[in-house]
Amino acid sequence: MKSFVRYISKYFVSFSVLIIGLVLFNLLAFIWTFHRIVLNDYSTSSPQNMVADVNAAAGPEGITDEMADTLRSLDIWAMFLDSTGRCLWSVELPADIPADYSVQDVAAFTKGYLRDYPVFIRCREDGLLVLGYPKGSYFKITGNYYPMDIVKMIPVFFCVVLAIDLTAMFLAYCFSRKKIIRLTEPIISAIASLSEGKPVSLDLSGDLSEVADSINRASRILNRQNQARANWISGISHDIRTPLSMIMGYSGRITGDAAANDSIRAQAETIKQQSMKIKNLVQDLNLVSQLEYDMQPVHKEPVRLSKLLRSYTAELLSTELSGNYPVELHISPSAETLTLNCDARLISRAVSNLVQNSIRHNPEGCSIDLFLNCTADTICLSVSDNGIGLSVDKLKEKPHYMESTDDRLDLRHGLGLILVRQIVDAHKGTMQIESEEQKGCKVSLIFSRSE
Amino acid sequence: MDHSFLYTKKLLLVDDEPELLALVSVILKEEGFENIITASSVSEGIAAAKTEKPDLAVLDVMLPDGDGFFLMQQIRDFSDMPVIFLTARDEAADKLAGLGLGADDYIAKPFLPEELLLRVYAVLRRCYKADAPVIKLEGCLIDFERAEVNKAGKTIPLTAMEYTLLETLARNAGKIVTLDVLCEALWGDNPFGYENSLNAHIRRIREKIESDPSKPVSLITIKGLGYKLNTRK
Repeated sequence: MKSFVRYISKYFVSFSVLIIGLVLFNLLAFIWTFHRIVLNDYSTSSPQNMVADVNAAAGPEGITDEMADTLRSLDIWAMFLDSTGRCLWSVELPADIPADYSVQDVAAFTKGYLRDYPVFIRCREDGLLVLGYPKGSYFKITGNYYPMDIVKMIPVFFCVVLAIDLTAMFLAYCFSRKKIIRLTEPIISAIASLSEGKPVSLDLSGDLSEVADSINRASRILNRQNQARANWISGISHDIRTPLSMIMGYSGRITGDAAANDSIRAQAETIKQQSMKIKNLVQDLNLVSQLEYDMQPVHKEPVRLSKLLRSYTAELLSTELSGNYPVELHISPSAETLTLNCDARLISRAVSNLVQNSIRHNPEGCSIDLFLNCTADTICLSVSDNGIGLSVDKLKEKPHYMESTDDRLDLRHGLGLILVRQIVDAHKGTMQIESEEQKGCKVSLIFSRSE
Repeated sequence: MDHSFLYTKKLLLVDDEPELLALVSVILKEEGFENIITASSVSEGIAAAKTEKPDLAVLDVMLPDGDGFFLMQQIRDFSDMPVIFLTARDEAADKLAGLGLGADDYIAKPFLPEELLLRVYAVLRRCYKADAPVIKLEGCLIDFERAEVNKAGKTIPLTAMEYTLLETLARNAGKIVTLDVLCEALWGDNPFGYENSLNAHIRRIREKIESDPSKPVSLITIKGLGYKLNTRK
């Protein structure tokens, strides 16, 4: 979520930079377009310069031929009026321009146009010099006056307007940022849940409803695939059970058949042992997939762990173990009467998997110790052996079974340990593995007492 | 423990897989059970249960014309015989449903012959225990019908508590019975702090059944777990 806010801020900064860039560009374009005309305006043919030049080259008596030619070449006409309004001389005076002027006439044309010709004048002591430029060549503002108050107000006005604009822009940014975050927050958290493999259902209206629909669709597809995978595994594990019963049943009978010779009985024993492995694998696989896809309801109820462990250990001692694996159960007095809200079947399964792990990794035999301890707020259930153990590096090397893409299957953890981890997760507990080479292995399952 | 009195019991097996039916029959017959009848569907199962009146039914959950739970309900209408389910599904819900309906036990496929026999014996003994009034221990006999111990020609009576304890241990003869199971048998659900009382009862039982109570050979302590009763054939 934080990264998203950062993303929006970054977006805002780049947007501001763009606006400033555009303004600069406009300025440059304006300068580039008008600089020639402006330059032209300050050349020798500009009205200001021309009036000065003509003024220098003319008097009441006339104008120099040279200047008259210049005026002709630029299509400019000129005339000189004396103080009574009579035209003393003129150059290229158009036919519609009169030769005599009253005071009113002069007042009318001095600021602007004379018969639509833009005119420029110079007052002299001895008369009035008038230059007429071609019609339409210049635009003159005839009414350019402003109240002094307005002129004084202009800088303040610009500052205030600029401040208001900037504030408005900032507010708009804050508002839209908030709105975008509010709109996108559920979508982002939904995507986060999806990435953890959890199903989501978004209900959004407005512009983002399409996005929400797509996410819901993706969630449904993922869910369907998970369901299909779990069903597939559960189907296989179901179908394999009856054939496996037959294999286990008959191999079990042959191992106890006095009529069979030793080698046949030994072979049958191998078949029996291996079928037991398949049985455990199938059970684990099914349970792992059910837990992985949340399809296994966890039936939690208060369970006295001391009782559960005693019952499990008694069963273990009564059935499978030979003298190579002495098992001892140690329950601390304070943990004796503790109950944990848990699924007894799953916890039992986890302990069993840990014990089976110890047995499997130590074919030479090892002693196995089960511990039940507690602190003020945790319950700790440990299975420890004094067998070959594993170095810490080796433990780290082994990736999760389902996450591993390594084809070398033997590098992965066994399915048994993954199931233990999932069972611990389902009870919001943690799992700790302590192991050292040649010094055994201890796996602790730690649960919160308030759970 | 002597199982021979159970071998005359009539067992009904219902499963739609002929191979599995054959396997279970062979295991039970070889063990000594003489009366085994088989059926492969709900309707055949009901018919067989009515005509043959078996003492125990082993039912598959999945049958071609219904499920084992339905079959058991049908059987319950006219008989209280114990029922064990054979199930290929290992979901907890199925098991609970089976036991909630009054099934006596279940066996999850795949299973070893020993496991099957263990459960069949356990259920039969529980339901027909009156048939086994006497068990033989090292140096003595326990007569459950009279609640007495016969040791070295003397008859020693058992108290109600001692009787319950010995009966619980005898039912699981040769297996470890945990402290919890024994306490529950004596004092009901979730007993706490009764270990000392239990020890006292065990001590008194040993005085009655052991030749040398300080070196017990029949009623063995399994440290931290419970007790085990060793019987003799």
